[in-house]
Amino acid sequence: MIQFFHVSKEYFRNEALSDINLAIARGEFVFLTGASGAGKSTLLKLIYKEEEPSKGQILIDSVNSTLIPAKKLFKLRRQIGIVFQDFKLLMNRTVHENVAIPLRVRGEKQADIEKKVNNALALVGLTYRKRYLTGHISGGEQQRVAIARAIIGNPKILIADEPTGNLDTNLSIEIIKIFERINANGITTIIATHDLNLMSLFPKRTIKLDKGQLVQDKRVEANP
Amino acid sequence: MRFVIYSIKQAMANLLRNKVVNLLCLGIIAFTLLVPGIFNYISFNLERYIDKLSENVEAIFYIKDDSDNGAIEKLMQRMQANLLVKEVGFTSRDQAKANFSREFPELKYILSEFNYSPFPASIDVKFQSDARNLIQVESFVRDIKNAANVESVQLNMDWARKIAMIKKFTTFAGLFLSAILLIVSIFIIFNVVKINIFYRRDEINILRLVGASDWYIKTPFLIEGFVLGFLGGLLAGGLLLATIKAFPLYAGFVFNIIKQLIDFRQLPQKIFWQLLVTGTAIGLFSSFISLRRFIKQTPG
Repeated sequence: MIQFFHVSKEYFRNEALSDINLAIARGEFVFLTGASGAGKSTLLKLIYKEEEPSKGQILIDSVNSTLIPAKKLFKLRRQIGIVFQDFKLLMNRTVHENVAIPLRVRGEKQADIEKKVNNALALVGLTYRKRYLTGHISGGEQQRVAIARAIIGNPKILIADEPTGNLDTNLSIEIIKIFERINANGITTIIATHDLNLMSLFPKRTIKLDKGQLVQDKRVEANP
Repeated sequence: MRFVIYSIKQAMANLLRNKVVNLLCLGIIAFTLLVPGIFNYISFNLERYIDKLSENVEAIFYIKDDSDNGAIEKLMQRMQANLLVKEVGFTSRDQAKANFSREFPELKYILSEFNYSPFPASIDVKFQSDARNLIQVESFVRDIKNAANVESVQLNMDWARKIAMIKKFTTFAGLFLSAILLIVSIFIIFNVVKINIFYRRDEINILRLVGASDWYIKTPFLIEGFVLGFLGGLLAGGLLLATIKAFPLYAGFVFNIIKQLIDFRQLPQKIFWQLLVTGTAIGLFSSFISLRRFIKQTPG
């Protein structure tokens, strides 16, 4: 469970987030929306602790993340899979090498890495690109490499920052469907997007930010 | 084990990726270690030479003619009691005359004009081979010289004293230069590692975000510093050996004077190990502080 208690974030006296109170249950699928500069990326960065809140507390599975020392930060990060807006892939490495990174840092055995990379690539439909250099594949395929890397470590939380930003509608739908499949395995999924059309196709809980403030938290009623 | 193999692979990849920078760094480390190495080598040899001189240091105390046997015996006992002294011998006036006749037979006729021995009696003192501190020997001689029965002393230590001074100077100059050059070395490796970190900053950032521990990120760079320092020390040892071997070839007649002081045949193992250990320590230390700075500057 992710909980925000009166969280604010300032950058050089400019408030990026203001007094956010929020709770996301385990296994939930949430869209985080708002215009550019609304504070979506900042909120996500606070979850995986790339940024520290200026005020307030953030609890991840009842652990106050603001109290985690820098040396122990890797333990938190291993519970979170992140799909970055700019992908953050190593373009001079193969698709396989990029996807395997989270397992290598955990010191997993080569045989296990092979098996898990194959599974992750199969899930995002990219097995045929396994040995390609990441810089030589399309933007949509790179997006899926980033997703595969985010899920390979079997995280409790999956965060995606504008994962469909550069993709056409069909590909965007395909990507969100992949996230739905991942979420079906009980992984809490938070997707930041400003694509309202896309969100209308997937009725999920939607949290809206505007100028750093939480202005709407629309929950979807479960089908009777 | 997998982590160690990964770290070594990464370190080697880094070293090979920036070949020119790393080779340059290696050369500079080797040179900065070579200079103190040369001074250390000279100092080592001078010390050995001083030791050799100390082994042969002998003092002859000439006794006043009117000294009685009891007083001479007492003086000899006093000398023998000193820890610096290895052997004390007495040469009577007649023995001195006989020694002269034996050693200089062609001048024997001079003595025939004397019906007594013209030579004074003497106490001959040989010092322990480990009495390396020439200042202590000199102090002992000065002390005995003031005794009532001693006429004069023969002790030629000027040569040894001068060499001891040269050795002191060499050690001091060596230490001074070493300190400066070691700082230069540290600064260079620090910056080489910094360049390599900068080159891999995107990868490091990704590694941290996907859950790599600090040690997972740091270790390859530490190995890199270790390898650079170790190879630098090894190269410095090789260069020092080459310098030692080549010196007699280009030094000409100067060599004949110096070769008495310095053994040009071999590089003492002690100096070789010192170069290797110092190089490795510098490498590790420099990359460690470089990494510490980087990790502090990028808390994300």
